[in-house]
Amino acid sequence: MSKDLLAEATRALRETEPVSESEARATRTRVLAGLHQTRVRRRTRLAFLLPIAASFVAFSAWAAASGQARRVLDQFEQLVGITASSTGNASSRSSTKTSSRRLATPAAPDEVRSPDPAPLASSREAEPAPAATVVTRAASSARATASSSSAPDPTLALYRRAHAAHFVDHDPARALAAWDAYLSAAPNGSFAPEARYNRALSLVRLGRTGEARTALEPFANGAYGGYRQAEASALLQGIAP
Amino acid sequence: MTILGLSMITEQALASNAELGDEFVQRLQRAEPSAVAEVYDAHHAAVRAFAKRLLGDAASAEDLLHEVFVSLPQAVRKFRGDSSLRTFLISIAVNHARHHVRAAQRRRRALSAYGDTRSDESSDPEREARRKELAELLTRALDTLPIDQRLAFVLCEVEEYSSREASEIVGAPEATLRTRLFHAKKKLRLALTAEGAE
Repeated sequence: MSKDLLAEATRALRETEPVSESEARATRTRVLAGLHQTRVRRRTRLAFLLPIAASFVAFSAWAAASGQARRVLDQFEQLVGITASSTGNASSRSSTKTSSRRLATPAAPDEVRSPDPAPLASSREAEPAPAATVVTRAASSARATASSSSAPDPTLALYRRAHAAHFVDHDPARALAAWDAYLSAAPNGSFAPEARYNRALSLVRLGRTGEARTALEPFANGAYGGYRQAEASALLQGIAP
Repeated sequence: MTILGLSMITEQALASNAELGDEFVQRLQRAEPSAVAEVYDAHHAAVRAFAKRLLGDAASAEDLLHEVFVSLPQAVRKFRGDSSLRTFLISIAVNHARHHVRAAQRRRRALSAYGDTRSDESSDPEREARRKELAELLTRALDTLPIDQRLAFVLCEVEEYSSREASEIVGAPEATLRTRLFHAKKKLRLALTAEGAE
């Protein structure tokens, strides 16, 4: 009996009265309007996104080719007010960034804007490859940041002095004092990792192996990431008692 | 699948290929209003009827119909001409049905709570009232089924698609569809008996 009822109900559902013509026309209009809106939305999206994407690609290519990426990014950060100095959360920012990132962020004095190439050249001749690379990196970072900001940074003068004593004058005692001066003025400065490593080298040259070992261990243990880790380990083995 | 059914599908497929030439498909993909309107005019009645039988609610059926034709330009990229365009449109409706089934159920619950005040304008009021009562009874019973069983019942019993066509539409094996249909019918019989409609 229920089987018949199911069949009857199925037939009844099948014979549902057709929708009125006006309702069908209304839905047709709604469909066509919906399609039009979809097309307009797609066109608008393309009209906005394509130029933005093209500009971004062109800018990235230009910045990568000319080496201006860091400078422009710094200018942009200043423009939108998210630089470390303006936000007041410099400590949290610096703690999350790598040492290589920290090299480029701070401001540099005007005097570094046109750096003297002589110390760089002489350092390349005078020092073994790792140390020279440090200086080259530090100096190039300083150049990059110097041109991006006009705010003076007195600690960079100390850095230059230490750099000259270490790489030009080859005076480890004076270099050690100068590195200490820089590090006491800027313990978290832009070039603090480089300064600490060069200070350790000065200690090695002065024969103060105990202090040198203490200074090199953080690098060997990876406290600065991979920066100078291999060299520090090799030096620690070399000065082992 | 009978030989007659197979030949019907083949004929439909051939007709659909003729109906949808490459150029026309490209026009559909570009969402050209004239192309979509052409398909709408040819197939809206069938898709609407299916939607209304599946959902049991005219307003939800119109919404589903709208969604089917608006999404057609995107969906037609998957059309390979293996089935008729009508079957393809029904399969789009099936893919979009879940959300609309729930909406229709909500609407029906609200109507039953507050009373349906729509008037019945029929030439044979008594017969029409009985027919409408049965249809509503079945729709309420369909609300108790899982969506897969509901689709199987509406496609095979109400729309009278063969189990092979229905399985292509829902994208499930034919045996699975038959099992769903079996369980759907069993539950519907129980539900109709419980309602005491007789």
